[in-house]
Amino acid sequence: MGFIRLVVFGFIGLSVIYVCVSFYSGSVRREKLEDEWDENQAAGANQPARDTYIEKGMVEYFNGFRRKLIVLIYIVPAVAVATILYLTNSN
Amino acid sequence: MRYFRIAWRSILVLLVGLLLHYALPQHDIARINSIEVIRQDFTGFNRLFYAQADSGSAELPTRDLRLINTVRRKTYLFGMIRGSETIMVYRNEDTGWIWPPYFKFDSSDLQAEASNFESSASEPQWLAIRHYGWRNRFFTIYPNATAMWPIEGPDVRIIPWFNIGFFIFMMGAWLFARAMWRQFRERMVDPAMERAGDSWDHVEAGVKERQSRMSRWLGTWRSKK
Repeated sequence: MGFIRLVVFGFIGLSVIYVCVSFYSGSVRREKLEDEWDENQAAGANQPARDTYIEKGMVEYFNGFRRKLIVLIYIVPAVAVATILYLTNSN
Repeated sequence: MRYFRIAWRSILVLLVGLLLHYALPQHDIARINSIEVIRQDFTGFNRLFYAQADSGSAELPTRDLRLINTVRRKTYLFGMIRGSETIMVYRNEDTGWIWPPYFKFDSSDLQAEASNFESSASEPQWLAIRHYGWRNRFFTIYPNATAMWPIEGPDVRIIPWFNIGFFIFMMGAWLFARAMWRQFRERMVDPAMERAGDSWDHVEAGVKERQSRMSRWLGTWRSKK
């Protein structure tokens, strides 16, 4: 019973963290793309081209590997629990 | 307002500090005299300071409690300084799956280990005992032993690696959360406030325009001077 409670509430808590971190990560990436464009292009460059550049970069990010690393938010605590469980109970 | 904030923060820090002091592992240097089992009848208050029944058992209002009686060295400053000998009684309970997260299910095995390490004052077998919790005589609560291992002598220094790692992790988590909050403010809240400010300006301008139209219209009814 306790195990089910741990899994359910742990999953809820980690999901909240997961959502926050993925928003944060996406936001940081978008800011970086904006800064890159603004640095490389002369001032007054056209807005649609800037938008396309940023959207292309974001699509790349969404399909990329770095974003998938956020899944570690679920994996690391599970591994930590398993490790503590083993270390505490093994003689 | 400022004093209120200071008071509020101090209380928060105190509560978190107490919680961590209760729940984080600490190490004692002790030798075991004897082990025993007593029946424990909990009150509503001291029930807080006990774990639940062994993970495979039913939860009843009263149950037996495994105790480990020891002679241990007094501990100051989170175990950095050890003093003279005194006594300490540990309970030995499963923490189960939830709180505190030690995931301890081997209380019976630990009790067997403890009985194996029983020693006398003339031939002491010193042990490091990992535990969490507090001993309080007025509330009848005991720290919960989670592990023990034999050591050379009573002067061994134990470095709390777990706690060091834990506090580094907490610091990192705090900095990360702060960075997230700042990013959120910068990218979401501030632009939204700006937009809201802009549209409020529009509304105000609109109202003024309407008012002036209204007063002009009213003006047509006023007698011309």
